[in-house]
Amino acid sequence: MNAPLAGKDGEAAFTRLCHELRPDLYRFAFWLARDRSVAEDVVQEALLRAWVSRNSLAEAGAAKPWLLTIVRREHARLYERKRHDTVSVDELVESESAELAAAAEQETTDVRRAILALEDDYREPLVLQVLLGLSTQEIAGQLGLTQAAVLTRLFRARHKLRRALGTVADGETE
Amino acid sequence: MTMDCLQFRRIAGADPRQLDAAAQSHAEGCPGCAEHLRQLRALDACILAALEVPVPAPGVAVASPAAPVARLDRRRWFALAASILGGVLVGTLLWVGGPRNSLARDLIEHLGHEPEALVVTQRPEDERVLGKVLERAGIRLRPEMGTVSYANTCVFRGRRVPHLVVQTDGGPVTVMVLRNERPAGPERFDEQGFAGRIVPAGPGSIAVIGAAEADLGPVTTDVLAAVEWL
Repeated sequence: MNAPLAGKDGEAAFTRLCHELRPDLYRFAFWLARDRSVAEDVVQEALLRAWVSRNSLAEAGAAKPWLLTIVRREHARLYERKRHDTVSVDELVESESAELAAAAEQETTDVRRAILALEDDYREPLVLQVLLGLSTQEIAGQLGLTQAAVLTRLFRARHKLRRALGTVADGETE
Repeated sequence: MTMDCLQFRRIAGADPRQLDAAAQSHAEGCPGCAEHLRQLRALDACILAALEVPVPAPGVAVASPAAPVARLDRRRWFALAASILGGVLVGTLLWVGGPRNSLARDLIEHLGHEPEALVVTQRPEDERVLGKVLERAGIRLRPEMGTVSYANTCVFRGRRVPHLVVQTDGGPVTVMVLRNERPAGPERFDEQGFAGRIVPAGPGSIAVIGAAEADLGPVTTDVLAAVEWL
């Protein structure tokens, strides 16, 4: 994963990397936007920007966090450019989770609905940790937070999910 | 100082997979916290399963109320099967020899990234997907184009270009509308198992690529007549 990315061979290696990482990038974009169509647009724009800036990536090993940062910025940029119609969280959860539910087990569907309803501040670090395998330090770098703040958000995210799923024991406090 | 249950649950709740020695030791000596940790790890497994939403293949429309998930799944399986077959075919063809023209070489290389596009089918591309691709490219298609079975916006030479596949009597033909590639004149290539034409059109050019030795004259004429630059 640490091959240099310069020259013609580097272009081919970069293209392969983008193909390999596309599922992770799409899923990250989806959980940022909570909309599959927007996620596809974000990933496409992000990959275009990544291609243009590929020379600034020194080695393939750094590609994943670098591309995640581009996806995150592209998602923010999309919302700066366009004023999207306001959709209530309940409507969004209903529409997206219903679409995704067809191929999933009930337990997965319930957890997915609960994650869709989480506030951005809690959902994003959870996705970075559980889905993308980033360490607390890496998440702090991505989000511009202290590690302590990240740990607090991760704790609260799980607590909120357990509460939503009805698995918080009586008397248990946050 | 030993860790109490509240401290343990705050640490485990932030990252149940990575416990330090003190937290690990607490869990080993506290059955209640050990059970809590087991539940958190089980929850994390569920969270991971929930986060792994299906990823659409490039160019495949996302499901919507009008396009049920079951249809998407069939298309994805079909695309996967076609990818494997197409990948072997394109890889073999690329191995045989290199093309002379660098634009032609890049076009052929690009086809290798989307072998699922080269499927013989009479099923037209989803109108919304096609409309979005055309809108992004700033073009319209007149009816002369025929059945477009695949449409995707691709990054090619650092720019977004529409990648279309048209079904003809001679099989699927790839059409790429290259607004930013302007050759001096019409070019032809017949290499690596592909026949192609690159024709100046509008502000740039249009590339039409089919199977080796295919007669691309009629479809090229149709495509040139069908593409309307906005």
